[in-house]
Amino acid sequence: MTKWFGYSAIAILAALASPAMAKSWQVDPAHSTLAFTNSYQGVEYTGRFRRFTAAIDYDPNDLAHAKFDVAIDITSLDTQNSERDHTALGADFFDTAKFPRAHFVTTAFHKAANGKVVAEGVLTLRGVSKPVALTVSFKPDGSAAVLDVTAQLKRLDFGLGTGQWADTSMIGDGVAVHGHLSLKP
Amino acid sequence: MPLRSTETGWGALVRAFHWLIAVLIIAQGVIGLAMVQMGLTPAKVRVFALHKSIGITILALVLLRIAWRLTERRPADPVGMPRWQRHAAHGLHLALYVLILAIPLSGWWFNSAANAPLVWFGWLKLPSLTGGLDPVWKPRALLLHQALFWLLVALLVLHVGAALWHHFRQRDDVLRRMAFGSRKYSGDAR
Repeated sequence: MTKWFGYSAIAILAALASPAMAKSWQVDPAHSTLAFTNSYQGVEYTGRFRRFTAAIDYDPNDLAHAKFDVAIDITSLDTQNSERDHTALGADFFDTAKFPRAHFVTTAFHKAANGKVVAEGVLTLRGVSKPVALTVSFKPDGSAAVLDVTAQLKRLDFGLGTGQWADTSMIGDGVAVHGHLSLKP
Repeated sequence: MPLRSTETGWGALVRAFHWLIAVLIIAQGVIGLAMVQMGLTPAKVRVFALHKSIGITILALVLLRIAWRLTERRPADPVGMPRWQRHAAHGLHLALYVLILAIPLSGWWFNSAANAPLVWFGWLKLPSLTGGLDPVWKPRALLLHQALFWLLVALLVLHVGAALWHHFRQRDDVLRRMAFGSRKYSGDAR
């Protein structure tokens, strides 16, 4: 009885609170990707992180309550080149022995001058936390939705391949990140 | 020094192809054997890129060389050379041509299957032969590349040995005409 009362209270509170909260979405991992593009020896390549989790609260009409919280399993890196992956996970780059995960959490959303939604946040990668802005594209599709986010990072900002690997003609500094999330209610 | 080959000697272009490709193959073999021993540093990446660039250069030179060879005659074999030796020599030469085409191609194939970049001397981007990663053929292409290389080493031992045998034992002009072109008229009847 007490239990039932507790659940009911939570449900009622949740129902009361929900108008003020942005809609929470479930991410469909089978149809979602977290990819990036960089250059290696002057040739562009795309890599992806096969395992990540994302908690998405988003309503385009209520940006004040929107929130993205993404945890990335760096060891799930796949650039379709096992030698490159091996190098990238090593101490000179992602150093997954020490930093197996990366984390991104938003701090604020706003509409940019061009009308696009920008999510300001902090990315923690290889022990370095830096502000990162995502450009957000949200497309409702019936009760579901598709969320695409892009960001431009610099690998050297996060200490990926410093020292002998800092030569950006071999490995480009710029990294274009593209997240494609299939959202279900 | 004629550009084209004659009845008695190799032309300047064939000799240029022969020695340039010879030097590149030796350099390529040394680089190839050394680079796989290197630790994982940017230098290793650069040496691999150099190996790929030299390999593509050899492939292009061999194709040009074959195209040129098809347009001209080859000098006659030494007089009195037994039939089996002629067949052995021509067969060996054919095998060498096949190998110096197949080795760079197998390297290109391996590189493609490994989804590694291929930019000739950092300047000309070359396409993948597999359209991206091919985990099934990657180890096979590497094995083929290595096996063909060692076969080439074995055949080059025969090739160089035969050239020296002709020069020092047979005292004919087989080595001389590849080194210097047409032999000077020395009075002996051919």
